Amino acid sequence: MPDTQALVNDFLNKLKKRKIEGSQATARQTAELLRSVISQQRVPYTNQAGALIDAVKAIGEQLIAANPVELAVGNIVRRVLHIIREEDLSLTTAAIGGLNLSAVSDDENDDDRDGDSTLSAAAVAAAARSTLRPPSLQTLLEDTPVSAAVPQTSSSGGDSEGKTADKSSRSRKLKHDVIEAVNELIQDIVTCHEQIAEQAVEHIHQNEVILTLGSSRTVLEFLFAAKEKKRSFRVFVAEGAPRYQGHLLAKELVARGLQTTLITDSAVFAMISRVNMVIVGAHAVMANGGVIAPVGMNLVALAAQKHAVPFVVLAGSHKLCPLYPHNPEVLLNELRSPSELLDFGEFSDCMDFGSGSGSPLLHVVNPAFDYVPPKLVSLFITDAGGHNPSYMYRLIADYYSADDLVVQRRATAGN
Amino acid sequence: MQFDDQGRVNKSKKRAVFNQPEAKNRVELFRHLPQYEHGSQLTDLESKFLELDSMHPAVYKVGVQYLAGDVTGGNARCIAMLRAFQEVINDYSTPPGKTLVRDLTAKISSYVSFLIECRPLSMSMGNAIRFQKSRIAKLPLTLSETEAKAALCNDIDRFINEKIILADKVIVRHAATKVRDGDVLLTYGSSCVVEMILLYAHELGKQFRVVVVDSRPKHEGQALLRRLLAKGLSCTYTHINAVSYIMHEVTRVFLGASSVLSNGTTYSRVGTACVAMVAHAFRVPVLICCEAYKFHERVQLDSICSNELGDSNDIARVPGRPDVNSMDNRTNEKNLQFLNLMYDATPSEYVSMIITDYGMIPPTSVPVIVREYRREYLLI
Repeated sequence: MPDTQALVNDFLNKLKKRKIEGSQATARQTAELLRSVISQQRVPYTNQAGALIDAVKAIGEQLIAANPVELAVGNIVRRVLHIIREEDLSLTTAAIGGLNLSAVSDDENDDDRDGDSTLSAAAVAAAARSTLRPPSLQTLLEDTPVSAAVPQTSSSGGDSEGKTADKSSRSRKLKHDVIEAVNELIQDIVTCHEQIAEQAVEHIHQNEVILTLGSSRTVLEFLFAAKEKKRSFRVFVAEGAPRYQGHLLAKELVARGLQTTLITDSAVFAMISRVNMVIVGAHAVMANGGVIAPVGMNLVALAAQKHAVPFVVLAGSHKLCPLYPHNPEVLLNELRSPSELLDFGEFSDCMDFGSGSGSPLLHVVNPAFDYVPPKLVSLFITDAGGHNPSYMYRLIADYYSADDLVVQRRATAGN
Repeated sequence: MQFDDQGRVNKSKKRAVFNQPEAKNRVELFRHLPQYEHGSQLTDLESKFLELDSMHPAVYKVGVQYLAGDVTGGNARCIAMLRAFQEVINDYSTPPGKTLVRDLTAKISSYVSFLIECRPLSMSMGNAIRFQKSRIAKLPLTLSETEAKAALCNDIDRFINEKIILADKVIVRHAATKVRDGDVLLTYGSSCVVEMILLYAHELGKQFRVVVVDSRPKHEGQALLRRLLAKGLSCTYTHINAVSYIMHEVTRVFLGASSVLSNGTTYSRVGTACVAMVAHAFRVPVLICCEAYKFHERVQLDSICSNELGDSNDIARVPGRPDVNSMDNRTNEKNLQFLNLMYDATPSEYVSMIITDYGMIPPTSVPVIVREYRREYLLI
């Protein structure tokens, strides 16, 4: 355990000091860290899933608190928790299926009431029945809320004798399955660009003019894939002050032989009337379909809406956050150093506390992110295909569990 | 002149006073606009100083100031040009065998084409030149040369005084009524009229704060910021990408204009359209402050048909960022172009009101003013 603690502390430091650039790198490192935590975690015979979930939640809480604006961290923590629950569910279903238990069907509400880490066999089977079996008239009719309360303690006592033999093998299998699934998750994170780029040919045709802002690796791969398929198009790149990452993107595009024009951000409205499509990357996608993107994106989205130009956002599934944004311009934003805008040396005389109220006359505002509301986005292209902004909340059910939205270790005694 | 017409471009090159090499990587969309390599122009022009017999030194000085970027802004450029013309008229003497009217008009035209070579005309300058030529044409033939010259210089003085200086004062009076206590006023770039409005409102004792929005490559807002801070206004400074972030606390937007066209489109510094669009999305009123002499009867729908292209090196090079500047050697790469637009066209639906010396009008009234008040260049 001490070496995982050291790893965790090291990662926490990097997050706090904002040393990790980009949501993909953050997501991958979070997943790898959680994988090592899980593999090192000792699990008891009963209720291993609960122990794993507890351990992950404890670490996850700290990680999220270190950098609340980097939503990818929270996303991966929640994904891992969902993986643990799912693997446990599928293992128990397989076991229950063998024992041929016919528990009264009820759903996960029981679990919620007792504290989410308690997963007794019967309740889990009941949950499995309701989630894994598609609803049919028969199941709807046999659902009688009378016997809703599943006797948990008695059934777990009754089951444990029959399954002691299975449990020891099950404990090893759970961790093994979870780690395999986390490996798949890491693989997905690393290869998300290719899967998104495969869809490029459907969207980019001949003689198109594309506008983008700043630099995103997903957009780069997307455009390269279209170029590979011999589509001819031109790209306008807005430089994306004050980080000026548009310059780097333009350099890469030119190196691959694409016609590129670099423009300032102020010229976006002027040029957008001649653009066929706007393709941008995102920092995070919220559950309502809103996008947290590098600063300046809202400007581009409004201009695109005014000129009826499609605004396409490329995002890997690790960027999808199950939270709904409230006041995202302030709460999900970071203000960077003013020295990127103004040279301290030139304006040092104006920084004095000049006025009577004691506050300085000059404030410099340098936000890092922008929020684009879902009504301005035409299409999301993820590694799972293309979606409308109004559909994004459904993808959350695939990747996350409802119990994990608040990653907090519950102080319940005795699970 | 449209620069994609090769024949006319060649003709104008022969008449040019100093040669300007054309830029190598030109954006296809802007073939109809001139774009030159900016590095060698100033030195070339300066070296020609002693060779220019036909050029009046005052006009030459103004040309160099335009090229070097020392004189910017519609009003400043117009005043500088008119003062140079005043000196030209004072020093003028009719050559034998020619009439004053025709010869002076021809001279002014040649000086104007020299100034165009240094930097394309702004709309305000174009209107001033048309005024000047019409006054020369309307000179009664009975006047002697000295009287004619005095009358023309007088006209120029009246034009500058009434159309620019007094007009600015009237605009400032009108606009100050629109500033209330507790306001947060946003402005973009550096407009001399907006600066006057802010300083006047501050002198009247109104409590407000200013947001100055700036952009690359010229960072004109920094000069405005410094002058406002020196007078004690409380200011916030940000760049144009952050306009969406800051707009929710803004109550009014004051913008300057290079010109307002007859379909209500405002033609001003690039980025004004972005600011106006975001203000419109946040339901913040946008007020354009523009003297009436800058109105023009042209119409324009987008920013491409008529614009000015600046130095592409200003885009390629980011001062103070060596990591980004490794792009520099790429300016000659054939696939990469840099586009440095100077102006853009703001659609009229984003503008709430235009404050002029004729009053506060909606954008739809601009053609009315152009038609009624400019027919004969009436001087009030």
